[in-house]
Amino acid sequence: MSKIACSDSRYTYYREIRNGSLQTIDVHEIIVARSNGRIIFLCASILLLLLHQESQVIYIVGALLLSILVIISSQLRVVQKERVVIMPAFGVQLETYYWSGRVSRRLLSVGKILRPVLNEIVTPVRCYWSLALVLDGHEELMPVFQESQPPVKMLAPIWKALCAATGGEE
Amino acid sequence: MAEKTAPARAVAERKRHTILMVSDFFYPNFGGVESHIYCLSQCLISLGHKVVIMTHSYGNRSGVRYMSNGLKVYYIPWRPFFLQNTLPTFYLTLPIMRNIFIRERISVVHGHQAFSTLCHEAIMHARTMGYNVVFTDHSLYGFADIGSIHMNKVLQFTLADVNHAICVSHTSKENTVLRSGLPPEKVFVIPNAVDAAMFNPAPKRLNCDEIVIVVISRLVYRKGADLLVEVIPEVCNLFPNVRFIIGGDGPKRLRLEEMREKHSLQDRVSMLGAVPHAQVRSVLISGHIFLNSSLTEAFCIAILEAACCGLLTVSTRVGGVPEVLPDDMVVLAEPVPSDMVLAIKKAIDRLPSIDPHAMHLRIKNLYSWHDVARRTEIVYDRAQRCSDENLLQRLSRYLNCGAWAGKLFCIVMIIDFLFWQFLQWWQPSEDIEVVPDLMRAGCGRGGDDAGRQC
Repeated sequence: MSKIACSDSRYTYYREIRNGSLQTIDVHEIIVARSNGRIIFLCASILLLLLHQESQVIYIVGALLLSILVIISSQLRVVQKERVVIMPAFGVQLETYYWSGRVSRRLLSVGKILRPVLNEIVTPVRCYWSLALVLDGHEELMPVFQESQPPVKMLAPIWKALCAATGGEE
Repeated sequence: MAEKTAPARAVAERKRHTILMVSDFFYPNFGGVESHIYCLSQCLISLGHKVVIMTHSYGNRSGVRYMSNGLKVYYIPWRPFFLQNTLPTFYLTLPIMRNIFIRERISVVHGHQAFSTLCHEAIMHARTMGYNVVFTDHSLYGFADIGSIHMNKVLQFTLADVNHAICVSHTSKENTVLRSGLPPEKVFVIPNAVDAAMFNPAPKRLNCDEIVIVVISRLVYRKGADLLVEVIPEVCNLFPNVRFIIGGDGPKRLRLEEMREKHSLQDRVSMLGAVPHAQVRSVLISGHIFLNSSLTEAFCIAILEAACCGLLTVSTRVGGVPEVLPDDMVVLAEPVPSDMVLAIKKAIDRLPSIDPHAMHLRIKNLYSWHDVARRTEIVYDRAQRCSDENLLQRLSRYLNCGAWAGKLFCIVMIIDFLFWQFLQWWQPSEDIEVVPDLMRAGCGRGGDDAGRQC
């Protein structure tokens, strides 16, 4: 079993290679840091907006409740970590862990994956890298990381491992 | 150890640029500006530079695409709203442009076409962020009508702080300098070129018993379609052995078809409709004379393509047209029907002395996209040598744009600067990943792609 890690301000990447009795399992994990600064900014904006308009107690209480609601709902949807488990002879499992405790898993068999690709996504405000899978019988690509957007230095070793597992050339 | 010769040392010392070409007009749209950007980019890549293009999305074509020789194109998902132009938002394009400038390690931003809103915004944001900027103007504009007045004010704002500008003819330079107030010493004249490998004459010379006059242009007012309506019946009446081939489409097509019906010229005037660019050469080589009736042209690549195919050109003497071809390859006329008919007569008389292959070779030597790229490279080097200035020094240039306009422009730039500072805090430059350089090893300095003009 070996671990390799690298991190930046938002993401931490771990790789764990487990030598099982039947095969080697390659686990790649991306842990997302909590972004408290943005939540505080959002709540402060709501508070300032509401308190500016009215100074009555009921509005202050309403603003506080709204801020608490925003914090809770944002935390429930926030991703704690995403994991790619590569079982070379079997398949690839994509896992998403949320702070609420919910876990979403999807298993793809090796035969169904035609090729993993590194894409550049362009939105109206930014560009970022994304790792996706070309699946047999599907027109659209399947993103490996559904919620987070890790940097390419973390995506590259995962892409290489997926290429090796699926028999594709780099 | 062999010593380097002076030219080799000069090549080694030339700096490699990473150029971002910005315009609303690019492939899959087809036109003069689009082909200029593409051909120039390919030749700059063959000189060893890295070129990235930014334009808006076209339908489903959105995101990153790669063209020949690793030419990367960003189709930004901002939809066009009027005549292929992106909606002008002033500040909303700053985040995506900043992102691209940083991730591609851009050294020079090169905007194309005064009518492109994306170009103007890119120049504004690039100067705010301290990048070197070059602007190429491809068209002539007026001074009197309300549209031109506004356009010229916008141009004055954009070019107030640009490092250098390029115009495609001396007439265009004069027009740009007058409209924008840019000092003439900042403006370079680099003409367009033509892909001589694509536009070559027919192997066998055409018979002169029946003379074919070819017209290929957009059938709009600006391109003189109304002149054609007057000229064609007159020429057909004077010369029974002349017929016309008209390629192109536009709002004036109906007028031409009415003219054809009125004078019963169905067998002497063929209307082909819109001609794909790949088929332009095959239409040109079916004629002896190329007729251009534009009312205004900064350069006119069409007559260059026609001359490259060995056709004698008859053109209106407007804008930069007289600068394009030597006198023996073109007959110029004033944009009035009577003068154009006389010019066509002169051209018909001159036809027996025309050698299409000799004409093609001369044009091939006169105009080359590689030459355009080398000259543009010099402009980039000059732009890089311009001194860095802070915001306060740059604001003084905007203040000179007018009593009220100057102050307004300063406010716009200050807000842009503050927004940029906010973005530096919200998403620091270190968090934006740099794209690895994937240029092929074969695209080195001094290497021309064999058998490929551009």
